[in-house]
Amino acid sequence: MEFMQKKVIGGITYDCYPLTPAQLVHISTLRYSPTAEIVNIGTGQYLQTKLNIAALREALNRAVERCESMRMRIWKDPDTGELWQYIEPYRNEYFEYYDFSEWQEDRITEVLNKWTSQPFDTYGGKLSRIVIVSLPDGYNGFYFNVHHSCMDSSSVIAFSRDVMEIYCALLYGMPYPKPMGSYIESVEKDLAYEGSAKQKRDAEYWHKQLAMPEPIYTDFTGPGRLMTLRRENKNKKQRWGKLTTSNGDGSTITYELDVDSTNKIMDFARKYELPVSVVILHAIRTVLSKFNGNEKDITIRNFVSRRSTLLFKKSGGVRMHCFPMRTIIPLKATVLESMRAIKKTQDELFLHADYSTLQYIKEQREAYGFEPGGCYHSVNFTYQPGTINGMVDLLKGIGFKSRWYSSGKQPQPMYITAMHRPSDGGLNFYFGYQLDSATPEEIEFLYYFTGRVLFRSIENPDKTIKEIIDMT
Amino acid sequence: MLEKFKEIICNYVEVAPEDITEDSRFIEDLGFNSYDIMCMLGDAESEFDIEIDQEKIADMKTVGEVLEYFGGLVNE
Repeated sequence: MEFMQKKVIGGITYDCYPLTPAQLVHISTLRYSPTAEIVNIGTGQYLQTKLNIAALREALNRAVERCESMRMRIWKDPDTGELWQYIEPYRNEYFEYYDFSEWQEDRITEVLNKWTSQPFDTYGGKLSRIVIVSLPDGYNGFYFNVHHSCMDSSSVIAFSRDVMEIYCALLYGMPYPKPMGSYIESVEKDLAYEGSAKQKRDAEYWHKQLAMPEPIYTDFTGPGRLMTLRRENKNKKQRWGKLTTSNGDGSTITYELDVDSTNKIMDFARKYELPVSVVILHAIRTVLSKFNGNEKDITIRNFVSRRSTLLFKKSGGVRMHCFPMRTIIPLKATVLESMRAIKKTQDELFLHADYSTLQYIKEQREAYGFEPGGCYHSVNFTYQPGTINGMVDLLKGIGFKSRWYSSGKQPQPMYITAMHRPSDGGLNFYFGYQLDSATPEEIEFLYYFTGRVLFRSIENPDKTIKEIIDMT
Repeated sequence: MLEKFKEIICNYVEVAPEDITEDSRFIEDLGFNSYDIMCMLGDAESEFDIEIDQEKIADMKTVGEVLEYFGGLVNE
């Protein structure tokens, strides 16, 4: 099927493609948010070496040239209102330089958070900003802010690695990285999914899930919020919750797990042939159970990067889909039985994750009849293994740090990202939350119990969930 | 079927087709992770026009075991 259409935009003819379902999730977020910066992703990548500004500018330009999604623009047809995307041809770009080397870290973070809160002009404008920066202690690198409709966190990591690898190749004679994958090819593959046999199989799976009895909302602070909603709606049997806020004001709290503790998790996962994500999900779901009267029916929304093929791993763009991952695990199940049940559910979710997230949300609402914004999950989760491979080896002997900056907005009430630090492979847990949905104390409480359950579980894999709950 | 399956596998991992044998283990030898395996199986479903039973395939570790299972489905 041919998806491309020629469109004349500003007097120039471009090859235009419809937006993919993954991109439309972010357009939908924009539609329901009063502020556009909610879709910004701000990061910084810094090497502890003397800065060669000319080489870094060159590396950034080469990386932008190789990465089509960095040059993607969205166009709204003024006649039909339809949204289209196209790729701007590469043009050499001048990247500004800011020297913060004499500044305090807190002040620098404040400035870079502020930059991240600058909204992009979604329809027609450039959707990224890169600035070369120097930090204290000899760290130099670049700040990168990008619109979520052109990149997700996997793409941000792939692009940042590409810049760093080109920079190291230019300066230190390291191998020049292999070319990026074609973004347009990945878009075409996504668009071709609509109406395919795979879509039919995925729809059957999700419809089967929606035919199950209604799930129950389990809040990360306990049952209080569901009770309040039941009172407000005068419905004692209400099972859905609601965690949307009017302005999306949010923040992120980061917890760094030391390398030894991270290795304990990795060793456990290897020993029992379980994905690391499953081990962490087991801990989160057990905490939600503990906080909600030992509930056995727990739903956590799982974000899937959909970066399986070699093309998708290096094609940039946004491919992330998300679905509720519902597990019903009895309290008498052992830790290992719980983890294997979670793995089975997660495998099924992975197999059917090409299905449109927005379509699923619509069908879920039709199936259970809840109000707009209703849901059964209070926690969103993603595990990002991306940074652990390669970069640590590549930078042997060179200090490296990576930072995520906040736009001050959060599209999700509670979004936990587990990600390995590029410097030492230890796990970072990022708790992104909306200010109306959680307090820093509640986040601290959630992290504390997640850690307790996690390590009690891997030390006692044959204990039951009930025993783990009682131990923590 | 082996040749076609090798083609599918090579879309996911950087391994030369000639290095893939029926004894190759997906995770240890070919470098798959659990997510890649599920996606690769989804592609195989489309390519061979079969429907995989998750429970049955969960413990299969090698290319040969999976191919044997696929062969049974194709002949059903």
